[in-house]
Amino acid sequence: MIRPDADLLLDIVDLHATVADQPILKGVNLSIRAGEIHAVMGRNGSGKSTLSKVLAGHPAYSVTAGSVRYRGSDLLDLDPEQRARIGLFLGFQYPVEIPGVSNLEFLRVATNARRGELGKEELDTFAFEDVVRDRLKVVQMDAAFLERSVNEGFSGGEKKRNEILQMALLEPVVAILDETDSGLDIDALRIVAGGVNQLATPDNATLLITHYQRLLDVITPDFVHVMAAGRILRTGGKELALELEERGYDWVDQELAVLEVA
Amino acid sequence: MVVSSRLADRAVNDAWARRLLSHLPVPSGELEAVQVRGREALIRQSLPSRRQEDWRFTDLTPLKALDPLSLNPLTAAVGSSLPSAGWPAPAPGSLRLWLDGRSDPLAGQTLPPGLSRLSSDDLHQALGRSLAGCDCEQHWPVELNQATVSHCLALRVSGVIAETLELVCVADAQHTLRPVRVLLLLEEKASLEVLQVQLGSGASLSSLVVEAQLGRQAHLLHGLLALGEAEACFLGHLAVEQASESRFRSVMASRGWALSRFEPRITQRDGAAHTELKALQLAERDQLADTHSQVRFLGPDGALEQLHKAIAADQGHSVFNGAVAVPRQAQRTNANQLSRNLLLSDQARIDTKPQLEIVADDVRCTHGATVSRLQADQLFYLQSRGIDAATASRLLRRGFCQEVLRDFPAAAAVWNPLQRLMVEA
Amino acid sequence: MSTTSTVSDLVSKPYQYGFVTDIETEKIDKGLSEDVVRLISAKKNEPAFLLAFRLKAFRQWLRMEEPQWAAVNHPEIDYQNIIYYAAPKQQEKKASLDEVDPKLLETFEKLGIPLSEQKRLSNVAVDAVFDSVSIATTYREKLAEHGVVFCSISEAVKDHPELIERYLGSVVPASDNYFTALNSAVFSDGSFVFIPKGVECPMELSTYFRINSGDTGQFERTLIIAEEGASVSYLEGCTAPMFDTNQLHAAVVELVALDDASIKYSTVQNWYAGDESGKGGIYNFVTKRGHCRGDRSKISWTQVETGSAITWKYPSCVLQGADSVGEFYSVALTNNRQQADTGTKMIHVGPRTRSTIVSKGISAGHSSNSYRGLVQIGPKAVGAKNYSQCDSMLIGDQAAANTYPYIRSQQPESTVEHEASTCRISADQLFYLQSRGIGFEEAVSMMVSGFCRDVFNQLPMEFAAEADKLLALKLEGSVG
Repeated sequence: MIRPDADLLLDIVDLHATVADQPILKGVNLSIRAGEIHAVMGRNGSGKSTLSKVLAGHPAYSVTAGSVRYRGSDLLDLDPEQRARIGLFLGFQYPVEIPGVSNLEFLRVATNARRGELGKEELDTFAFEDVVRDRLKVVQMDAAFLERSVNEGFSGGEKKRNEILQMALLEPVVAILDETDSGLDIDALRIVAGGVNQLATPDNATLLITHYQRLLDVITPDFVHVMAAGRILRTGGKELALELEERGYDWVDQELAVLEVA
Repeated sequence: MVVSSRLADRAVNDAWARRLLSHLPVPSGELEAVQVRGREALIRQSLPSRRQEDWRFTDLTPLKALDPLSLNPLTAAVGSSLPSAGWPAPAPGSLRLWLDGRSDPLAGQTLPPGLSRLSSDDLHQALGRSLAGCDCEQHWPVELNQATVSHCLALRVSGVIAETLELVCVADAQHTLRPVRVLLLLEEKASLEVLQVQLGSGASLSSLVVEAQLGRQAHLLHGLLALGEAEACFLGHLAVEQASESRFRSVMASRGWALSRFEPRITQRDGAAHTELKALQLAERDQLADTHSQVRFLGPDGALEQLHKAIAADQGHSVFNGAVAVPRQAQRTNANQLSRNLLLSDQARIDTKPQLEIVADDVRCTHGATVSRLQADQLFYLQSRGIDAATASRLLRRGFCQEVLRDFPAAAAVWNPLQRLMVEA
Repeated sequence: MSTTSTVSDLVSKPYQYGFVTDIETEKIDKGLSEDVVRLISAKKNEPAFLLAFRLKAFRQWLRMEEPQWAAVNHPEIDYQNIIYYAAPKQQEKKASLDEVDPKLLETFEKLGIPLSEQKRLSNVAVDAVFDSVSIATTYREKLAEHGVVFCSISEAVKDHPELIERYLGSVVPASDNYFTALNSAVFSDGSFVFIPKGVECPMELSTYFRINSGDTGQFERTLIIAEEGASVSYLEGCTAPMFDTNQLHAAVVELVALDDASIKYSTVQNWYAGDESGKGGIYNFVTKRGHCRGDRSKISWTQVETGSAITWKYPSCVLQGADSVGEFYSVALTNNRQQADTGTKMIHVGPRTRSTIVSKGISAGHSSNSYRGLVQIGPKAVGAKNYSQCDSMLIGDQAAANTYPYIRSQQPESTVEHEASTCRISADQLFYLQSRGIGFEEAVSMMVSGFCRDVFNQLPMEFAAEADKLLALKLEGSVG
C-alpha cells in the first residue's frame, strides 16, 4: 500500500559496509515508508544478506560510510538489542539453536523487552502464556514447541515458523525477512507467507530479502529492488520480479558492466 | 610398611630388565645406536608399576612371568622359513612381508612403484621422530623394543599404492622375544593400506613399534590384527604424525594374549587433518587387554572419530584410556570418542576412562562410555522372531565386533578375523 | 565488538563479601603439634574418646603426604604457619540471640543471613559458624519438638556423645586422605544433624560458614544422620573476606542414611577466589561422603561452586543398601586463575543401586576446571545402574576444561552410561538473542543458566533463585 505522505520509517543513504575488511556493501540507497512491502532480490553474494545483518547490527559487519535513519534518528549507533526494542526485526535465514534456553522463556523475555520500550507493562508467566497461545495460531504451531529449547532440533520449516511467531509477538515497525522462503516446502511457505500478510498493517513495513519469485507469488511487494555487487541496481514494481524470473540475472551483469565503465 | 613394599616391588621390576639385558649380545648392526639408547633407558627406568597413573589398571604379572633370562630376540622366525606352512595365502593384490625384527624382509622382494626402501641416511634421520612428536619415545615398551630390535622396515611411499602391504610377524616358539619396528614416510598425496598381523603363542613376547609420518593429503589405513595364545604377551606402540589434510585410519582387533597393551598415539601437527581410531579388544580367561590412546591437535580444524570396543568375559580385564588434547591453537576441533564395553561375566572387569583436556573454546568434543551386557531388549526382539537365545546372543556379539572389523583392509579377509574373534574360546 | 572479550569482561565481577568484621578474636599460636591438638580438645572440654580420635588422626597425618594427582597447582603449604583455632571472644554460646555480639549479627545480616527473630527466614533453620565456632542456631526448639537435633558439633559432643562416638569417622575414616587426617586432628566446629526414625524434617536446615581471620585455617566437620525412614534437606553456604594470602579450608562432611532414609545436601560455595592475578583466595580441600547404609536409602548432593582459589572436592556416595540411590548435581564456575578439580565417586556395592551424575563446568579467564569422577560397580551390585552426563562450557580461549571420568565395572548385570560434551557461548547465539531485544548481559546469563538448569532444578526452592542470582552476579559487570 503506497502512500507518499506516509511516515518514512527507514532511510538508507549510501551505505558501505565490510566484513573481515572485505567491502560488501558499496553504496546502498533505500527508503521505506509505512505500509509498504519491499523486496530485495539478487544473486548469492550480491550483498542482500549483508544488508539485513548490517541493519540488525551484527557485530561481524562494520559500516564504513553512509547512514541509516530509523524514524528520523540514527540507527547505526544502537546495539542490536536496542534496535529490536524500538521495532526493527530480523527474521534470520539460519536461526541458531540455543540448547538449554527454553523457547517460552526466551519469547517472554524478548516480548517484555519490547513492551518495556513501548511503555506497556510486563507480562508475567501466566499472562504471557495467553498471549503466546493466541499468536501460535498465526503460524499454526503446536504449543509443544514452547517447551523445547530455542530452535533446538527444529526442522527447517519449524525454525522459520518460530521466527514468524517472534515477529507476531514483537510487533515490529520494520520487519526484515532474510530468505525466509529458503528451505520451505509449499505448505510451510504458505503458512509463513500467511503470517507475514496477516501481520502487515498501514503503520508498519516489511523488507523481504529473497532469491526467488515464489515468495512474491504469495506476498505481493509494492517495490522490487535488484541488488548486485553491493548496490541496488534497479528499482521497480512487482513486474520487475517477473521480469527477473523470465530473463534471469544475466542482464544484471551487463548493466553492471556498463555501470563499472561509467 | 608402605615404603618397604614399594621398594621390594621396585627391586623385582629392576631385576627383570637387568636379567633380560644381561644375556643380550653386544649392540651391533644398523640399529646399534638405537639398541644402546634402549638398553641405557631400561637400566635407568624400572618396569612400569601400577603406582604410575598410566599403568594404574594394568597388572604386568603375565609379562613378569616370562623368564627374562630365556627371552631371546635372536631366534629365527619360524614363519619366514616356512612361508607355506599352514598360513593362508596372501589376498590377491597384497604384498606379504615376514617380519622378525632381525632379517631384512625386503630381501628378494620387488616393491611396487611408489614404494621404496629408505636409504640408511634417511632412515637414521627419520627414525624416532614420530615417537618424539607423539611424546612416547621414553615409554618403557618403546625402550624395550629399541633395546632389542636389529632391523627396521623403513619405506617411503610416494604415490597411491594399490597393493595392500601385509606385514606378518609370528612369535610361536617358547621364549621368543619378537621386536618389530616399522617406519613409514608418506609423501604428499601418497596413499597406502597396511595390514599387520601379529601372532603369538607360548611364553613369548611380541613388541611392535610403528612410526608413520603423513604428508599433506596423504592417506594411511593401518590395520592391526593381533592374535595371541596362552602366556604370550603383546606390547604395541603406534606413533603417527599427520600434516594437514591428511587422513589416518587405524583399525585394531586383538584377542587371546595373556597381556596386551596397545598405545596408538597421534599428533596432528598443524591440525586440519582427519584421524579415525577403531579398536576391538577381547579379554577372556584371565587375560588383560589394554588400550591407551592419545590424540593431540596442534592446530585448528582437526577431526577425530574414535570408537573403542571391548568384550570382557570369564575373568578377563579390559582397560581403555583415551586421551584427547585440544590446546588453545586447536580451534574448531571436532573430536568424538565412544567407548563401548560388553561385560559378559561377573568375574570379568572393565576399566574405561576417557580423558579430555580442552583449552580452545570453539570446539566440538564429545565422549561417551557404556558398560553393560548384551541388551536384553535386543535379545528379546531377536527371540521373538524365533531365534534361540544362544544364536541371538551370537548374532549380537557378531554385530558388536563387525562395526570395527568391517573397516579392516580388504586383504585381512584371508585371516578370517571375524571367525578368529568369534569362535568360542 | 569482539564477543569473546566482552563475555570475559562480564565474568569479572568484584567479590561482594570481601569485608572483614572487626571483632576481638581469641587465637592460639600458629603451628601444629600434638600439644595444639590437645589444646583444641581441652578448649572444647571434650571427652576422652574424642581426644584419642584426634591424636590418632594427627599421628597418621604426620606419616602421610599431600596428594599430587589432582590437576591443580599451588605453592607448598606451610602447615606450621597456620592458626588452628580462632574464635570471637565470647566464650559461651548464648542462650538467646540478644546476647550475641551485635557485630556478628550484623555480619551475617550483611551476608544475607539474618539471624534475629524478626528477620530470619521463615522456613529455614540456620547454624551460623564464624571462624572456628558456631555462634547461633535458629529454630532449635521448634525442631526439637519433632525430635530433630540441629546444633553445632561441639554441642553435640556434649549433649549426644554416644551418637558422635558411633558415627564420627564411620563414613570418612581419619586416614582416608591427607586432609581428612588433618581435619580429624584439629576440627573446630561444624554442624550436627540427627533426624530420628520416621521423621520428615519440618524445615530446611542450613549452615553458613564465614571465615574472618586472615591467617586461620578452617576445619569444620559436619555429620548428618537420618535414621530409618527419616528425611532432611540441608544447605551450606560460605564466604570469606578478601586477603592477599591463601587460607586453607579442609572440611569433612559425613552423611549416614539408614533404611528408607533420604538426605539432600546442597552447597552454594562462594569462598573468596583470589584476585585476577591469582593472589589470595581459599584453598578448598574438602572430603564429603555419604553412606547409603540402609536399603532404599537415598543421598543426593547438589553443589554450586563459584568461589575458592583452588577447589579439590568429590562429594561421593557409597551405595551399600539394596536399591539405594546416589545423586550428584554440580555446577562449577571458574574464572581468572581459579582451579577446580571436582567431581564425584559413586561406589555401587549393593544390588539394584542406582546413581545419577550431572556435572556442568564453566571455565572463563585463565582458569582450569576439571571434572574427575569414578563410577564403580562392585561384583555384588547386580542390576546396578549409572547415568552420567558431564558438560563443559568454555568462555574465551585461555581457560581449560578437563574431563576424567573413570568407570570400573565388575558386574555384568549392570549398566553404566556416560555422556559428555563441550560447548561455548557462540557469537551467533548471542546476536540472535540480542536481535530480539535481549541485552548482552541477560543473553549471557540466560545461556549460562540454561546450561545449568538441570542442576538448579535440584536445589531447594528457597535457594534455586539465589544460586541463579549468584551465577548472574559472577557474570555481571560492565559491558565493553
